[in-house]
Amino acid sequence: MEKRALRKIHDWLWEIPKSYRSDMRVPAHVYADEPMLDSMLHDRSLDQLVNVATLPGIRQWAIAMPDAHEGYGFPIGGIAAIDPAEGVISPGGIGYDINCGVRLLRSKHSADEIRDHLPTLVHSVAREIPSGVGRGGPLRLKKDDLDHILRDGATRAVEMGFGNASDLEAIESRGAIDGADPAHVSDHARGRGGDQLGTIGSGNHFVEIDRVDKIFDAEAAKALGIEVDRILILIHTGSRGLGHQVATDFLRVMVGSMQRYGITVPDRELACAPFRSPDGQRYFQAMAAAANFAFANRQVITAGIRRAWKHELNSDIDVIYDVAHNVAKLERHSVGEVLIHRKGATRAFPGQPVLIPGSMGTASYVLMGQQGSMEQSFGSSCHGAGRVMSRTRARSEVAAPELRARLQKLGIIAEAASNKGLVEEAPEAYKDVDAVVDIVHRAGVAKRVARLVPVGVIKG
Amino acid sequence: MIEIIEHTADIRLRVSGKSLQELFTEALRGTIGLLQPQKGARRVQRVVKVEAPDTTILLVDFLNEALSNAHANREAYDDAVFSSLTETSAIAQLTGNDALAFGEDVKAVTYHEAEVRRDPNGQWSTVLVYDL
Repeated sequence: MEKRALRKIHDWLWEIPKSYRSDMRVPAHVYADEPMLDSMLHDRSLDQLVNVATLPGIRQWAIAMPDAHEGYGFPIGGIAAIDPAEGVISPGGIGYDINCGVRLLRSKHSADEIRDHLPTLVHSVAREIPSGVGRGGPLRLKKDDLDHILRDGATRAVEMGFGNASDLEAIESRGAIDGADPAHVSDHARGRGGDQLGTIGSGNHFVEIDRVDKIFDAEAAKALGIEVDRILILIHTGSRGLGHQVATDFLRVMVGSMQRYGITVPDRELACAPFRSPDGQRYFQAMAAAANFAFANRQVITAGIRRAWKHELNSDIDVIYDVAHNVAKLERHSVGEVLIHRKGATRAFPGQPVLIPGSMGTASYVLMGQQGSMEQSFGSSCHGAGRVMSRTRARSEVAAPELRARLQKLGIIAEAASNKGLVEEAPEAYKDVDAVVDIVHRAGVAKRVARLVPVGVIKG
Repeated sequence: MIEIIEHTADIRLRVSGKSLQELFTEALRGTIGLLQPQKGARRVQRVVKVEAPDTTILLVDFLNEALSNAHANREAYDDAVFSSLTETSAIAQLTGNDALAFGEDVKAVTYHEAEVRRDPNGQWSTVLVYDL
């Protein structure tokens, strides 16, 4: 796409008009400053956004957040609100890692108080929480138990003894999306990920021990129990192999059934089915079940961190918030009920904490959703820094010993399942998270509350 | 033949073969190779059956079926014997070893950019993009 195809609306917002391509049903909105837009034009993010704008039933705009980069079907950092009566559901609008998301925990300690304990604390957390490729967890769930998790998410994890009922109040949708039906989660999916509850996995997933570095909004921070130097813990993971397989299973179903529904899309990864069709409903119910598995996963991981905290510091931790960034949900917005697809995008309802993990070695952010998100982005914000360097290039350009030394110099203790996993997530592989957050703040989508810097990293 | 091509978020392979069967077998080896399996000594075999509207979808679905089996059963396949392979259906026996561990996670083989083609010399090829 050429830059001249875009119309500048604000310093932080650009529009691709509906006239750009004859099959677009709505215009596309891109939240970015000019350097970010230039970066997006280097890959196919915006062509993919235009493809999203062609989906049957899409309302108002296809939206890209400032962390957008090329994905499959949808760009990562893409949002689409679709009329559930007339429109479609697309697994490509959610992604392979269903309910990949972030949870923020609050300790009772300052950075000074844990400084001497940090090496053993990091090691203790790493020991409690399995990480790495395909690693199973300590739980061996029988089919009925897994079905309960798939239906009731974090609620069931709490019933099983992983955490407190009060934790549920601090989780998006109280940790369970309505409509989940375990019957539509295949044996393949159960076999691939059913034993992975309580595990981080690999890739960009992690547990981080963070120090609050800066407060931008004292009142909002106080409401969340956050002050400068407070130690918080950030968890970033999703539905593991179970969710990957649910996505694979239904993408295959929809690639095969689109013709039957008379739907054509410009990219097979946008394969979709009418939301009200049997295929659409089965996928939604399976996707919700996988999302519930992810909420339960973060709940079980929280229990592991609590054990480590108790063991090392004899203190407890609280859940500040837990939010999904790869999910589809039915929500009511100004245009009526819509099926909102968020792929690498975070719900950002007014007054709701929005958690933005940065790259290892830079910073993460706590934001607060604003009214502007309801008016501009169907209650959605960005989800992270956004990748700019391939894993292959990161591996060839970053040496693990050098990266470890650099992190150590910054006062960060890193424990990783492999050197490869560590270097692939080096800070230079990501966009500048400060700049990404600045855009959503200026746009009135979500305001800055606090910036966190890591002091301990546990990676797959 | 398998060639790795740069991709911002994930990984992309260009795969080719002198026949459709060779293309599928090479793509299987490339896919399982991405998992970086630490192979055990036990030999394993598994039957995979796939049908699809066209050859590109057939290949991606075949590979995803192999990937699901590899993850679920902790197996690393290095060969496939096709009892049937047409442009829209495949029945194959995958053979390989048990996997003690995998060094890389591959969430899925995507349909993104995949297009099975046959050139005038009869060579089959496609690009495959993987979500890691």
